[in-house]
Amino acid sequence: MKSPLGTGAAAYRAVAPAADRGSGIAFDGVSVAYGGVTVLEALTLTVNPGEIVALIGPSGSGKTTALRAVAGFVQPATGRIRIGTRDVTDVPPHDRNIGMVVQNYALFPHMRVDENVAFGLRARKAASALVAARVPEALAMVGMAAYARRFPRELSGGQQQRVAIARALAIKPQVLLLDEPLSALDAQIRRSMLDELARLHRELPDLTVLYVTHDQIEALTLADRIGIMRDGKLVAFGPAQALYRHPPNRFAAEFLGRANLLPVTGLEPAADGMARVRFGDVALTARNHHALPAGDECLLCVRPHDVHVEPHADTDNTLVAVVRSIQWQGDTQSVELALGEHVLRLACPPRLTLPGIGDPLPLHFRGTQATLVPVGAALG
Amino acid sequence: MLVWSRRGRLLTFVLALALFGVLYGLPLGVIALASFAGQWNNVLPSQMTLEHYVNAFRGDSFDQLRHSLVTGCVASLVALVAGTWAALALRRARRLPARVFDAIFFIPSAVPSVSVGLGLLVAFSHKPFLLNGTVWIVLIAHFVLISAFTYGNVTAGLARLPADVEQVAESLGARPGYRLRRVTLPLLAPYLIAAFSLSFALSMGELGATVMVYPPGWVTMPVGIFALSDRGSIFDAAALTMLLAATTLLVLLGLSRIPVRGSAR
Amino acid sequence: MRSGSAGAWVLPPLLLLALLFFYPLLLIVREALGGDGQVPGLAHFGEVLGSRMFRSALWNTMVIAALSTVGCLVLGFVLSVLLAFTPFPGSRMVARLIDTFIALPTFLVALAFTFIYGSAGMINETFVHVLGVARPPVDFLYSQWGVILSEITVYTPFVMRPLLATFSQLDPAQIEVASSLGARALTIVRRIIFPAALPALIAGGSLCLLLTVNEFGIVLFIGAKDVITLPLLVYDLAIQQFDYASACIIAVVNIVLSLGLYTVYRFVLARYGRRRAGLV
Repeated sequence: MKSPLGTGAAAYRAVAPAADRGSGIAFDGVSVAYGGVTVLEALTLTVNPGEIVALIGPSGSGKTTALRAVAGFVQPATGRIRIGTRDVTDVPPHDRNIGMVVQNYALFPHMRVDENVAFGLRARKAASALVAARVPEALAMVGMAAYARRFPRELSGGQQQRVAIARALAIKPQVLLLDEPLSALDAQIRRSMLDELARLHRELPDLTVLYVTHDQIEALTLADRIGIMRDGKLVAFGPAQALYRHPPNRFAAEFLGRANLLPVTGLEPAADGMARVRFGDVALTARNHHALPAGDECLLCVRPHDVHVEPHADTDNTLVAVVRSIQWQGDTQSVELALGEHVLRLACPPRLTLPGIGDPLPLHFRGTQATLVPVGAALG
Repeated sequence: MLVWSRRGRLLTFVLALALFGVLYGLPLGVIALASFAGQWNNVLPSQMTLEHYVNAFRGDSFDQLRHSLVTGCVASLVALVAGTWAALALRRARRLPARVFDAIFFIPSAVPSVSVGLGLLVAFSHKPFLLNGTVWIVLIAHFVLISAFTYGNVTAGLARLPADVEQVAESLGARPGYRLRRVTLPLLAPYLIAAFSLSFALSMGELGATVMVYPPGWVTMPVGIFALSDRGSIFDAAALTMLLAATTLLVLLGLSRIPVRGSAR
Repeated sequence: MRSGSAGAWVLPPLLLLALLFFYPLLLIVREALGGDGQVPGLAHFGEVLGSRMFRSALWNTMVIAALSTVGCLVLGFVLSVLLAFTPFPGSRMVARLIDTFIALPTFLVALAFTFIYGSAGMINETFVHVLGVARPPVDFLYSQWGVILSEITVYTPFVMRPLLATFSQLDPAQIEVASSLGARALTIVRRIIFPAALPALIAGGSLCLLLTVNEFGIVLFIGAKDVITLPLLVYDLAIQQFDYASACIIAVVNIVLSLGLYTVYRFVLARYGRRRAGLV
C-alpha cells in the first residue's frame, strides 16, 4: 500500500537524497566516552534502508547513546556515522533530517497538536500549502486527526505519543529514531501501540527505523534485526528469529526470551547440522548451528516452552528432574525444577496435571529445538 | 491536622490570627489609617482627610511616582535581557566555568546597596564616565542591584524546562535561533514574567543605593518618602507609601494576569 | 550554541556587569587603600578601623543582624507550622499576604512602627489618654530594639518561603501515623516537623543574616542617634560629611563581611539542596 505521506515530493528539502527509497544508517567503529568512561565501544552496525533494527540491552548498556549519536546529541570520540550516503558525524542535529521520538513524548506544551506536528516543517521554512497538506496526513496516520486543536496536556499518554510520532513523520525523515517510545505507557496501551507501530511500518515500508528498548517483546514484535548490547558493546546482532533460535552466546540467550542453559561436554558432530553431547552421564542431541568443534565444552540452550512433560520412548533427549515450584499463570503453568545443581524451567499447558512439589518428573525436548551455544569467556 | 481537639483548634486559630494581625495586619492598617489622618493626638486620629492623597498626586510627589515607575521598568527590562542572556549562555558551558560565572552573576545580590551606590559615585564622577548627576546613574544602580535576581529566576526556570523538548526541536530541524524563539523562550515565559515582577518590586522599594546617587531632578518615591518623614510630614509620607505599595501591587497583579499559552504547570 | 562557543556568548552580560559593578567595586578598594596617593594609604585605613565610630557600627551591625535572624527563625518557624499544619479559615489568604509583603519596601514597616510604638504612637497614646499614665511608657523604638523588631517583621517571610515549600512536600501520612501512635502535637513538632524543616531553616537563616547585615532603609527610617550600622555609616560619611576616603574604608569592610556571609549561604544551599530561600 502506498503511504498517505508519499504524496508530494520531498523537494522542500534538498539535503534529503533519495528520501522516497529510504536511507540506511551505518555506524563505523563509533566510540563515545563521557569524562574518561567509555559508554559505547567501537560500534559497527548497519541498518538497511526500510529496515527496523532494535537495540536492546539493560540500562547503561550504551543503546541510548548509540541512538543519540545518530541524532547528533552525543559526539563520537572515534568512528563515523552515515545516514544514507552522507557522513553526518560532524553535522549538527538540525541538519540531519531525522525524526526522533522519546520516552516522555517531549511535545511542546505551549503549542496545539497541529502546531506540534507542523513544527519541523515550519522550522525548515516549508511552504504553507505543504504544511497544510502534510499535517492532517500525519495526524490521520496515527489516528489523531480529531485532536488537532487540543493542547498536549489535554491528551492521555498514549495519545501524546501518537502525536509525537506524527510530529516525527511529518518532516518525512530519512530515518526514524525511537528511544524507548512505549516505556512510559501502561501495559495495555503499550500492547495496542505496538500493533500500531507495526501497522505504521507496513504502510511506510521505506521508513528506516532504529528502535531502542529494554523490552524484548517490543524488539521481537517489530524488529527485522536485533542488536543486543552490554557494557557499551554489541554482543549479538542478527535477524530476530535466528537470534532467538540460535543465540551466539549466553548473554544473548538469556536476554532475548527465557532460556534453560545446561553445561554439556564431549561434543560429537553428527549429520544434518546436529551434534551429540553429554550432560553428566546423560547423552543428548541438539543443533550445532555455530559449528562447534568436536570435544568442545558448550551450553545446551532450550526454551521453556520447548521442554515437554510427556515422555517419548523414541528419543534420547530425556531428563528426570525434581519439581521445586509450580506457578499457575492463567494461560500457562510455569514449573521450576532441580536437575542436580542446575535449575530448569518449563512452560506447559494450564490444564495439564502435574506431580506435587518434590516429586520427580521425566522431561523431554526435541533435539531440533535445542541449540548449542559456545561458552565465550568474555561474553559468557 | 496537627491539633485534633476542638478547643485546641480554637486556641491555635486565635493565636495564629493574633500573631499575623499584630505583625502584618497592624502595620499595613496603621499606614493606611495615617495616610487619611488629619490630626492624630489620641489613640486614633480625631479627624480624617484626603489632603495627603491630593498632595501625593501633585507636584513633586507625582513626579516621584513617575520617576520610580520609569526607573523600575527600564532597569527591570535591561536586567531581564542581561539575566536571560547570561543564563542561556551559561547553560551549555562546561561545568567549572559555569559555576564560576554563576557565582559572579550572583555576587551583586550580596553587596550592600549603599556600597553599590558609593562605588558608582566613585567610578562615574569623572571623565571618561561622567554620569554623576544624571538619571543614568540611578538606572545603573537599580540594574546592578536587581540583575542577580533576574539571572537567578531565569536560571531556575531553565533548570525546570521539560527534558528532551529542546533536543527534539533540534532534531526536527530547528536551528538554534529558531529553537530559542519558538521553544525555549515561550516555555520560559512564566519565569521571565516572575523575574521581571520581582525586579520591578525590588526597584520600586530601593532606597540605599538611590539615596547615594540620585540627582536633584530624579527623586524616586522611597527617597521622597524619607524626605517627607525626615521633615515631619509623616502623614504625607504614609500616603505616598500607600501609593507606592498600591502601584507596585497593581503592576504585579497585571503581570500575573498575562496569559501564558498552554503552560504545562 | 554548542559548548565551545558558550564562552563567547557569556561575554556581553559579563562585560556589562564588569563595567557597572566590578569596576566601581575595585575603585572603592583603591580609594580605601589611599587611592590617588594623596592620602597616606594604610595608615588612614588603620586609623578608621581603630576608631570608636567604626567599632560601634560593626558591633551594632552584628548584634542587630544576629538577633534579628534568631527572631526571624523562631517566628518564621512558628508561623509556618501554624499555616501549614493547623489550617484555619483564611490561612491561604494569610500565606498570600505574607508573600506580597516581600514585594513591599522594607522601610514601610519602620514607618508603620513609629505610628504604633513611637513616642506619640497608638500604644503610648492609649496609656496616656485612656489609662492616665503621665509619661509615654513604651520607649524602645528609637533603640536597637526598634530596628530589630522591624527587621524581624520584614525578613520573617524570607524564612517562611522555604519552610512552607518544605512543609508542602512533607507527607501528611507521617503526621497521621505519629498521631495514631500516640504522639501529641508538641512531640510531633519536635520529632518530625523540626528535623524536616532544618535544611530550610539553615538556608533561610543564612539568607536573613546576609540581608540584615546589609539593611539600610529600616535603620535610616528609625533614625535613632546611637544606632549606627555599617551601611548607615557609609551613607553618613559620604553624603553628610563628604569624607569619601573613610566611607570607602567602611564600605570595604562591609562588603567583605557580606561576601563572607554570602559564601556561607551558597555553601549551605549547595549542601542542603537548592531550595532557594525566597529570592537569591
